[in-house]
Amino acid sequence: MNFTFHRKRIAGVLVVVPENERSFSEDMKNFNFPEARSLKLKEVMGYDKRRVVEPGVCVSDLAVFGLEHLLGEGLLKRDEIDALLLVTQTPDHFMPATSSLIQGRLGLKQDMLCLDINLACAGFVIGLMQAFMLLEQESVNKVVLINADVLSRKASPKDRNIYPLIGDGAAITIIERDDEDSVIHASVKTDGSRAGALIIPAGGLRLPSSPETAHLEEVGDNNLRAKDHVFMDGSAIFNFVQTEVPPLIENLLARAGVTSEEVDYFLCHQPNRFMLEKLADKMKVPYARMPNNVVEHFGNNGSVTIPTVMAYNLRERLQREQLQVCLAAYGGGLAWSAMLLKLGKLAFNNIIEYK
Amino acid sequence: MKCTFKHKRISSIIAVAPSQEYRFDDEYANFKMTEAQARRFKKMMSLDRHRIAPPDVCASDLCLFGVHRLLEAGVLKKEEISAIVFISQTPDYILPPTSNVIHGKLGLGHDVICLDINQGCAGFLVGLQQAFMLLEIPAVTKVLLLTGDTGSKQMTRENRINYPINGDAGAATVIERCSEEKTIYMDIKNDGSRYKALMIPGGGYRMPSSVETLKLREVEEGVVKCLEHVDMDGAAIFNFTMDDIPPQIEEVLSFSGETRDSIQYFFLHQPNPFIVTQMTQKMKIPQEKVPNNVVSLYGNCSSTTIPLNIALNAAELMLAGTRRVCLSGFGVGLTWVSAVMDLGPLDFCKLVDYEPTGSHA
Amino acid sequence: MDKQEFYQRLAEILDVEEVKPENVLKDFDGWDSLAILSLLAMADAKYGVSVKAEEIRAVVTAEDLARLIEAKRK
Repeated sequence: MNFTFHRKRIAGVLVVVPENERSFSEDMKNFNFPEARSLKLKEVMGYDKRRVVEPGVCVSDLAVFGLEHLLGEGLLKRDEIDALLLVTQTPDHFMPATSSLIQGRLGLKQDMLCLDINLACAGFVIGLMQAFMLLEQESVNKVVLINADVLSRKASPKDRNIYPLIGDGAAITIIERDDEDSVIHASVKTDGSRAGALIIPAGGLRLPSSPETAHLEEVGDNNLRAKDHVFMDGSAIFNFVQTEVPPLIENLLARAGVTSEEVDYFLCHQPNRFMLEKLADKMKVPYARMPNNVVEHFGNNGSVTIPTVMAYNLRERLQREQLQVCLAAYGGGLAWSAMLLKLGKLAFNNIIEYK
Repeated sequence: MKCTFKHKRISSIIAVAPSQEYRFDDEYANFKMTEAQARRFKKMMSLDRHRIAPPDVCASDLCLFGVHRLLEAGVLKKEEISAIVFISQTPDYILPPTSNVIHGKLGLGHDVICLDINQGCAGFLVGLQQAFMLLEIPAVTKVLLLTGDTGSKQMTRENRINYPINGDAGAATVIERCSEEKTIYMDIKNDGSRYKALMIPGGGYRMPSSVETLKLREVEEGVVKCLEHVDMDGAAIFNFTMDDIPPQIEEVLSFSGETRDSIQYFFLHQPNPFIVTQMTQKMKIPQEKVPNNVVSLYGNCSSTTIPLNIALNAAELMLAGTRRVCLSGFGVGLTWVSAVMDLGPLDFCKLVDYEPTGSHA
Repeated sequence: MDKQEFYQRLAEILDVEEVKPENVLKDFDGWDSLAILSLLAMADAKYGVSVKAEEIRAVVTAEDLARLIEAKRK
């Protein structure tokens, strides 16, 4: 499904990562695997360090921390916030929506929209689209999009398919109207028949949490996991990305009349180093133009990886100049999305640590 | 936050209630109420019966059943579904989004956008806003707005505050473009500082599920609950309904250039009939314009209350012609959203009982 | 404010014959969440005042309640 947006821009990006860092060598100790095999995994997947929250830290904490930073620095004013969009799969409560809690904690105005949208890794692109759509309303001048997850709290330490991969974090993106006659092209696709490839089986209403669902089970390949833990079918996800993402981006660029060479950077969701290298190979994009270092420094922080790759690799450049970038976000759902836009000059494009 | 939308219409509504009906008279013994207390409670809250889903039925099942009926009736084709917006606070899973699961079960094509939005009582209005926004995109043909909740699973039967009033239900509403301008006026407000009025403490990430959060306690006479159950401050909700909703309804009437006289129906969320009566009497809205029987017959079904209200009380009218209506959803968040719009003529408007799948996939 | 009338209305809400100013509200069987709702509604409909849930929880006797509503009317 194709979308086109006019006269909208991203004004600034702030990424909040937990101060707490874990290393793969620590994680490795939990796995039922010989060390040599684990080290091989590390090399291929690009695992090294990741940031995870301390127990008890939630999405609203990361979001409030980041917003208070922006408010404190004068980069945002309370009353300017017309809409707060929170994209998360790890909410504070089932009820109320976490965006309401954030609004309450910050004392924001009543005349605004608060929305919790449950989306996985495709969440940054779809979140941006939500913001662009909202800005069509006269009364909406500034939208705050927050992508945030604390998924590490649902990863089994004895599941080496997932545990060393997951990072936590939040990204706060400010979106507003653009005086320039800019055009943004986007595309979104869904295949719910493969929804089981990335799932937490228990904890919703289909299978409520209980002592049984907390019980670790042998799930093959020497991994142990509970129904309360997140399950990822690695090869299904790999095949999915290789098959679906390149044509999506190709069609997007064709529609926009832009060649792959004219794109300054492909800022893609970072499942792990291996997957992204293979994607770059398939798309014939040099690695230099598809930055691939988020997992090794921060972990895969879900829909936060794209803002993280922006703030980590292009911190200065995006504040100084305007670049033509293609975003690609894909994962749980299964959903896959891409967006072509001019990005920059950003008022801010930083990573800060949550303490 | 004010919004306007043009050239959009609701074309079909189907509300789905579990077939299992329970009467207050048969249940009040669970609430440790004396006969006198029960009589008083029943009278004040106009309680009679409500629908409760069986253990294996989730909100998405109710919604999906509705979608199949719409497909069968020919008012919706699979290839027309461009977006699925699922509004619930009782989703199948926390990950993946339930809208994706529904997409898979319907066997739809890839050119669809799926969204799960966490909303309660204001959910139908929030969902409408989402649908109207999506329909600005040329590629979007029809939006399937699904609201559904099985709130009964977030409380025990021995809970006199929440259980007698709760109803489980789901609805599927189809929204599309239309050639007439038909401006829709909407106002949205939020106040998260009062979130404690209606919340669930445990089960999310603030207080993860554990043996402790699942422990049932009698927290007061006739109220047995655990930390993963709904906590409601009835008096705070009453204050909220009386203080905040009337000004918003006035605002949206003024914004749309309508009055109490020109609006033909007020389809309101129904926390309970008592509050609705109090509020609308205070606003001097003629009671015959305010259908107020959803709780008595089906229970308070959160975001599905409004579409169920319409299907229960005004189906014939909505099929026959156009009415100028005011919709207002308010509650958990706290979030309150009101709108003035034309409703009807609808292609489909029905309230049905859920049947477990046999021939229906 | 006609105090007699107020105590009579309160008696109806509490489902008792009579309420005296010195009576402690919590001592009545009928003083429950339903009674509180009825009271909030009565305050609004009959006396035109909006009483908050926290304010009701803070009062002890029937007279405290009467004074609370009377004060709000001014």
